[in-house]
Amino acid sequence: MNETSLTPRWWNPAGRALWVTAVALVLASWWAAATFAPVEAQMGPVQKIVYVHVPSAIVTLIAFGLTFAASIAYLTTKQWRWDAIAASSCELGMVFATVVLISGPLWARSAWNTWWTWEPRLTSFLILWILYAGYHVVRSSIRSASRRTISSVLGIILFVNLPIVWKSVEWWRGSLHPRSVTMTGEMRETLLLSMAAWIVFFAAAMVSRLRLEWIREAALERA
Amino acid sequence: MILIDVIRKDLRLHARDARFLATLLLFSASCVLILSVAFGPSFQDPAREAAATLWAALFFAGVLGLTRSLELEGESGGGDAVRLSGADPYAIFLGKTIANFLLLAGVFVFVLPIASVFFDVGDLEALPGVLGVAALTLLGYAAWGTLFAALARGLKARELLLSVLLFPSLVPLWIGAVKCTHALWSGGSIEPVGDWIKVIAVADVVGLALAAFLYEYIQEASE
Repeated sequence: MNETSLTPRWWNPAGRALWVTAVALVLASWWAAATFAPVEAQMGPVQKIVYVHVPSAIVTLIAFGLTFAASIAYLTTKQWRWDAIAASSCELGMVFATVVLISGPLWARSAWNTWWTWEPRLTSFLILWILYAGYHVVRSSIRSASRRTISSVLGIILFVNLPIVWKSVEWWRGSLHPRSVTMTGEMRETLLLSMAAWIVFFAAAMVSRLRLEWIREAALERA
Repeated sequence: MILIDVIRKDLRLHARDARFLATLLLFSASCVLILSVAFGPSFQDPAREAAATLWAALFFAGVLGLTRSLELEGESGGGDAVRLSGADPYAIFLGKTIANFLLLAGVFVFVLPIASVFFDVGDLEALPGVLGVAALTLLGYAAWGTLFAALARGLKARELLLSVLLFPSLVPLWIGAVKCTHALWSGGSIEPVGDWIKVIAVADVVGLALAAFLYEYIQEASE
């Protein structure tokens, strides 16, 4: 099968360019985190986890937000492309959410002297992770034509949890997470670079993941 | 009126299935018994432990009730008949929600005195408040439960999927119900946990509002 005919002509060059940019930015952000950003006085080098943890959390919210938007678009237009975008974005969102859940306890052990505590944002984020894992279980267990509609409905319903995670530190007392992260100088610049790097990384991964969906759809049409 | 017809249909199906209802009540009583034994024999904070036990038993029993509703509808073909009648999907949803609410309320009325006796908590003064909290919580449970049960219709291992998706979604309701019941049983005033009443009310409204937009698509997918 000639797969290049299945996706738009600009797809592969655009994907390659995005991957090159993403890898360069991620390497630059790691370099900045290791050498450019100063070592935090209280926590020491462990604080540098923030340059992975916070960008991953932001990308998770972007990914699940995209799933929500694409799910609405699918229910409105019934075009399979929107469902493909929703599912791909949700899959990548899960990867980044897992990074958040792994890097969080590593930070917590050093900052709060415990791997896990039932704190509002930790708890709400874990619930978010379980729910979106459920999205994939449900999606993979449906083989009928209703798969796309059910997944889209779920993509919309689960989005309700995102504002809860975002606002949990304000709505509930006893939160250990800060209400906002205030950084200055090199730390702030490194964090912004890391965010940009992981957002571009997400975009590159989305393009590659969507290409698979395009190929799968074309194969199904030909079958 | 379709709303009344759906409620009557669902309640009649449950009434014909007396053996399941008896098992459901026994299951909920067993949950209370097991947890009271686990917490006892001397309770550290009886009001808190009783509130947690009461709502845990109710939430577990609720999933069984919701799953059985789905099975009964499938076996009798009543659900297909209602859908084919061309009735307003939201009216069908509301009818099913009210029927599920009544089923859950029945379980609550059965479990409440058992939990009160086992943990030696609660008095008549606190009863109206507890019933009010229960009404608000069970309305949300019924709304979200009906929505997810409709999504899980036709899926393999739907009991598991329902638990995986429903329990995490209901966490705000569950925590709110436990906090409010605890406050009423320990001090008599609900004021310190007044924010949780708002959380429960918002969860109710969000569940009912989401269904207004999405239930039509869920029905369409199950046709």
